[in-house]
Amino acid sequence: MKLAIQILLAFLLLVPAQAVIFNHLALFNVALPIVFIYIVIMLPVTLGTNWSTTIGFLAGLAVDMFCDTAGVNALSCTVLAFARKPVFHLYVSTDDDLAGRSPSTRSMGHAAFMKFLITMVLFYCSMVFTIEAFQFFNFRLLVLRIAASAIYSFILLYALDCAVSRGREAV
Amino acid sequence: MNELFGFILRHSKWLVFTFFVVISCMLLFNGDPYRQHVFMTSAGRMAATVYKGANNVTSYFDLREINDDLNRRNAELQAEIVRLQENIDAMQEAHFTDTLALDSGVRHFDFIVAHVINNSISHPFNYLTINKGSADGVKPELGVIDRNGVVGIVSTTGAHSARVISLLNPHFRLSCKIKRSDYFGSLVWDGNNPNEALLEELPRHTIYEPGDTIVTSGYSAVFPSGLPVGTVMEAESDKNQNFFTLRIKLLSDFTTLGNVQVVVNNEAEELRSLSAGEENDSKKKPFGN
Repeated sequence: MKLAIQILLAFLLLVPAQAVIFNHLALFNVALPIVFIYIVIMLPVTLGTNWSTTIGFLAGLAVDMFCDTAGVNALSCTVLAFARKPVFHLYVSTDDDLAGRSPSTRSMGHAAFMKFLITMVLFYCSMVFTIEAFQFFNFRLLVLRIAASAIYSFILLYALDCAVSRGREAV
Repeated sequence: MNELFGFILRHSKWLVFTFFVVISCMLLFNGDPYRQHVFMTSAGRMAATVYKGANNVTSYFDLREINDDLNRRNAELQAEIVRLQENIDAMQEAHFTDTLALDSGVRHFDFIVAHVINNSISHPFNYLTINKGSADGVKPELGVIDRNGVVGIVSTTGAHSARVISLLNPHFRLSCKIKRSDYFGSLVWDGNNPNEALLEELPRHTIYEPGDTIVTSGYSAVFPSGLPVGTVMEAESDKNQNFFTLRIKLLSDFTTLGNVQVVVNNEAEELRSLSAGEENDSKKKPFGN
């Protein structure tokens, strides 16, 4: 129940924030901060893949509705949510000590979480911008957009996670 | 039967994943922006409500710049009125009549003032959302302009909001001409710089100079002719040797769009029925067959 409320809260805050704030904070029209994927990143590792894929799809679909990107985020977020567990196990061999807890700096430590986060962000940016590049294929611009957006999103997501973790510690 | 259920349960994660991927791909490859249901766009009730709420705060941010622009535009229009009045007076004198009909294309058009509540410039296919919808008389395929020039074309309408295909979207091609020489071509965004677009399909012998104004040609029922769109920057190399392409600097600043006007052509239905009649005529078989 607590998890459901957390996910709903993240959904209600991050999807409108992505649409209203972060989509307008693009740097040099190249680096786009993608922050709403924190909904997928924060899901507990022990949560079933069916649930995480459904949540990922709905989050992507909601952002598509707001941003008129028709399926780009829904597809990317579905794949991201599905790949979440294998990516997590690249850096953490067992999830015993994380049972029921979300991946974060607090639960994983800074180094492991940073590696997990940059992989997820890079994976997501690669998918979104490659799908969008079907229309205009400009390899240099594509690589620049993926790299710049991944770094920008990583910094914001890391700051967001630190803030959330600190908030939880205070509680 | 039990084996089937067992199979489904064993592979449920793959089935769920495939199901969502298929739905996403269906949305992704439905390329026609006019066929999307309003619920799936930023003109949907939920998205429009969020954008309107945010816009109540952010619409104050650029007021100084918009005010300066309006003052400049107002001065230009005042000068235009004086010039047109002088023309009318001269024509009346020439024809010795007090009842000269003003032959202006603008008479056929009405304008609905709207406010941009969402706008994107960083995607390959950009859209904007305005706070007027079908209840205010906005319909799909109406043109949208701002104080500086053409902005886009309405694609989907909700009751009190509408989604507009921005000029920064390759789904939108605009028939334009060089004001000085009347050579016309098709304006389309190339996906790079939000301040620039390409004027394609110009004849090879086009006469132009950097700085020439590009205006709408008026060859469609959407925009009146002569609306400013941009200015010529330079020639582009074109793969097609029969045509010529110019790079255009757009007049509308898409990063600070505020108030816009939806162009309602009162004669659009008549023009559409005429062109539909022409298409039907061309489909008819010749006599004797």
